[in-house]
Amino acid sequence: MPNCTTRLFILLAAASVFSPVSHAQTVAPTPSAKHQAAPKVARLPDFSGSWAVVGGSPSWDPSDPRGAKPDELPMTPWALERFKAARPPFGAKATFEAVNDPVQKYCDPPGITRLYAYPWQFALIQAPGVVYMLYEFTGLWRPIWLDREHPKSPDSTWMGDSIGRYEGDTLVVDTIGLNDKTWIDQVGHPHSDALHLIERLRRMDQDTLEVIVTFDDPKAYTKPFTGKRVFKRSSSPMEVTLCSLSEMQSFDDEVMKSTTVTPKK
Amino acid sequence: MKSKLSVVFSVVVGLLLISSPTFAHHGTSGYDMEKVITLNGTVTSFNWSNPHCLIHIDVKDNKGDAKDWIIELAAPTLMTRNGWTKDSLKPGDEVAAETHPAKNGATTGLSGASTALLKFVVNGHTLPFR
Repeated sequence: MPNCTTRLFILLAAASVFSPVSHAQTVAPTPSAKHQAAPKVARLPDFSGSWAVVGGSPSWDPSDPRGAKPDELPMTPWALERFKAARPPFGAKATFEAVNDPVQKYCDPPGITRLYAYPWQFALIQAPGVVYMLYEFTGLWRPIWLDREHPKSPDSTWMGDSIGRYEGDTLVVDTIGLNDKTWIDQVGHPHSDALHLIERLRRMDQDTLEVIVTFDDPKAYTKPFTGKRVFKRSSSPMEVTLCSLSEMQSFDDEVMKSTTVTPKK
Repeated sequence: MKSKLSVVFSVVVGLLLISSPTFAHHGTSGYDMEKVITLNGTVTSFNWSNPHCLIHIDVKDNKGDAKDWIIELAAPTLMTRNGWTKDSLKPGDEVAAETHPAKNGATTGLSGASTALLKFVVNGHTLPFR
């Protein structure tokens, strides 16, 4: 598998080439157009820079962002069974014992919506026909295609298939094709491979980014729900924090087990 | 400076709930987040690595016996943004370190999240050194 860090550097290099207020709709001049009026270029919202989450909201349930009552999301029996089996790091069911969080236990990719909950930054690179979203945590990235529709039968993958469009000052991202191996948040809420996400990204001011996410997953939830996160522009450069299973296991042995086993007097 | 056990209990009344610090991958359920103790001791190692930076401190009890405390901090990238570096501590440093102790009485504590670091005094100077 290509090195994630290398990929990130390539993409960041691309960012220095492509203007942040993108040229998705620019047209290269031709000799015949030399004396014509300059083509109009759509002014797109500028999401450049790196963004860090404000505060900590481990759950996407809009009425319970702290995850104090995580069983109140309207889950189907299929999802409820999975949720009951989850032993997550945050919320009412938070535990250090027998943790089965797929990120903590296996270094699995966290999934698109859970990535918004971590304290690591993300960045958006607006290029012609595509927006790249880069995540510090685990060095993940994903393309958001502006110039095509979803495939008719997409593979089920960790990051899914994302397409986007600009609606005024908002980037609207539509994602399907996700596998069901991730949790949507830090409190253990599951999702199925039928999950359909709509993310709406909008700058509230120069240094504040709002992300509103709608979850529509009829296999897992009896009705759609929508949550919101706010991010602040960061002055820190993007870096990479990888998830290493050997480091996770070492930390688990040295720290987490000591806090879950009664020490000898 | 002679190391001796000096554990000072104080209550952090709702402070962390109000500030909603963002913690990294494993949550805080193993720690007593309403309690802060101060450990006075000598650094024996400082591991600047993922998923969390770890400090080992020898803290002497009333009998003079040293106990190994493990202090957990945030990940290196997040500690860097709080002004720490891999050279912020070295073996032999005398520290006064605030920490949230483990609930089960283990000599383990949590001292750092991405947005809320507890106080560290190293050789008489408070980290981070600016």
